[in-house]
Amino acid sequence: MLNISDLTVSYGLHQALIGVSLNVSPGEIVVMLGANGAGKSTLLRAIAGICEGQVDGRVELGGKALLSRKSDEIVEAGIAFVPEGRGIFGDLTVWENLMLGAYSQRGRRAKEDNLKWVLELFPKLTERKNQIAHTMSGGEQQMVAIGRAMMANPEILMLDEPSLGLSPLLCTELFGNLSHIRETGTGVLLVEQNAKQSLAIADRGYLIENGSITGENAAQALLNDPAVQATYLGGAAVSQEH
Amino acid sequence: MDILISGLLLGGTYALMAMGLNLQYGVARIMNLANGEMLVLGGLSAFWLFTASAVSPLLTAIIIAPLSFIGNWLIYRYLLLPLVRRSKNQGQLEVDSILATFGMSFALVGVMVSIHGEYFTYSYLADPLSVFGSTVALNRAVAFVAAVAIGGALYFWLNRTYAGTAVRAVSVSAEASGLVGINVDRISAFAFALGGAVTAIGGTLISTFITLDASIGVLFTMKALIIIIMGGVGDIRGAIIAALILGLVETAVATIVDPGLTLASAYVIFLAVLLFRPQGLFGRRTT
Repeated sequence: MLNISDLTVSYGLHQALIGVSLNVSPGEIVVMLGANGAGKSTLLRAIAGICEGQVDGRVELGGKALLSRKSDEIVEAGIAFVPEGRGIFGDLTVWENLMLGAYSQRGRRAKEDNLKWVLELFPKLTERKNQIAHTMSGGEQQMVAIGRAMMANPEILMLDEPSLGLSPLLCTELFGNLSHIRETGTGVLLVEQNAKQSLAIADRGYLIENGSITGENAAQALLNDPAVQATYLGGAAVSQEH
Repeated sequence: MDILISGLLLGGTYALMAMGLNLQYGVARIMNLANGEMLVLGGLSAFWLFTASAVSPLLTAIIIAPLSFIGNWLIYRYLLLPLVRRSKNQGQLEVDSILATFGMSFALVGVMVSIHGEYFTYSYLADPLSVFGSTVALNRAVAFVAAVAIGGALYFWLNRTYAGTAVRAVSVSAEASGLVGINVDRISAFAFALGGAVTAIGGTLISTFITLDASIGVLFTMKALIIIIMGGVGDIRGAIIAALILGLVETAVATIVDPGLTLASAYVIFLAVLLFRPQGLFGRRTT
């Protein structure tokens, strides 16, 4: 279980996150909703150990303190991160990307099983395995990014706006795949602009505004909350559908 | 034909030297202006061991490899890593590392002048060898074969092994490397040390057919830079082609026009590349 309490991030005088607390359990999808600049990306980057700002507070996974550790140690502890823009190795092949995903000790231990699972989830990656990653389409690159993250054998998978730039069809496929990942017992922490589709698959959601958590509820309750509908679901148009 | 063969032989040795700087700049992101001094140190060791105890430069190359690896690892760990940690971005790191290694190059020149202030003149395998009907010096051919063997092994290691793939991953993106669990500091230190060792070996090989001296290093730093920028940073295939082109052009200009113009010809190529193909011959996109 990922436990975050009182997390504060500042860049010089600017406070990007103020006293954020949240948790993610195994086999649970948690979505973080908020406007651009609310601090969603900063939150994930701080957890993953690649935030340049000053980070304070507590980040614990299974009781182990992870705050301010280096990113490779955090992967080793069990948190994999797909950053915004996917962060795959564009000049390397699909296969090399997947293999590097299992670079950590914890990834190496379960390499064969995870590889089999990833290739079952994304059969396309088998046929494209020798392709240079940056020559693939956005949707295919997303498969590489998620597949590579799962090769690290994570307890918690974090994704920063994975649906960005994907077609509606690919979005549906993406959220379906995240549900599959939940079935393996991995906890998923998701930052999304696409509130409707992400809440539809999520168990719980948090609302973040100006660097602070302003609300938390079950995903279904958030979907039906008029204030959430107005802010994140395009108001009346969506509420009519429900 | 003579020009072609001599040029290719020279280019092969240049390629090895550029591979060294490529590892340091492409992976560890250190623009090492003391790279040429490392090369001259390799040459000085070969000269010193050959004149003092008649040790073959090829054996010196084997001895110098682990020593220069350790030396460069220490330089990275204690001189450069603090700069890497401190820098907020690549631009800042480039300015800092250029200044630090530029200073280090003067220190190394001073040390070498105090060891041996004159030319490192010695004669090793200076016999004629016939290659495809033209005559070349045996030491050039041997240096070329050794450079190809070492460069080939390095290329194979980088492209076909898991550890080599991790090194390439760091050169593509340090941030993404950390996110898959690669210890970027450790791989960078390793790449810097390996690059220094490869350069020093290149120096021992070059010293068999070019007479070096303590202050000539900057010339080789510039040549390696020209090759890397022409070939594209981090692109080993590009660097090999660029090194062969540089070797050919230098040999052609020296033979046909005037030996004094070899360096000038190198700069003309450099300028042409910067003006017309700043992304390198094969246009590897910037990351």
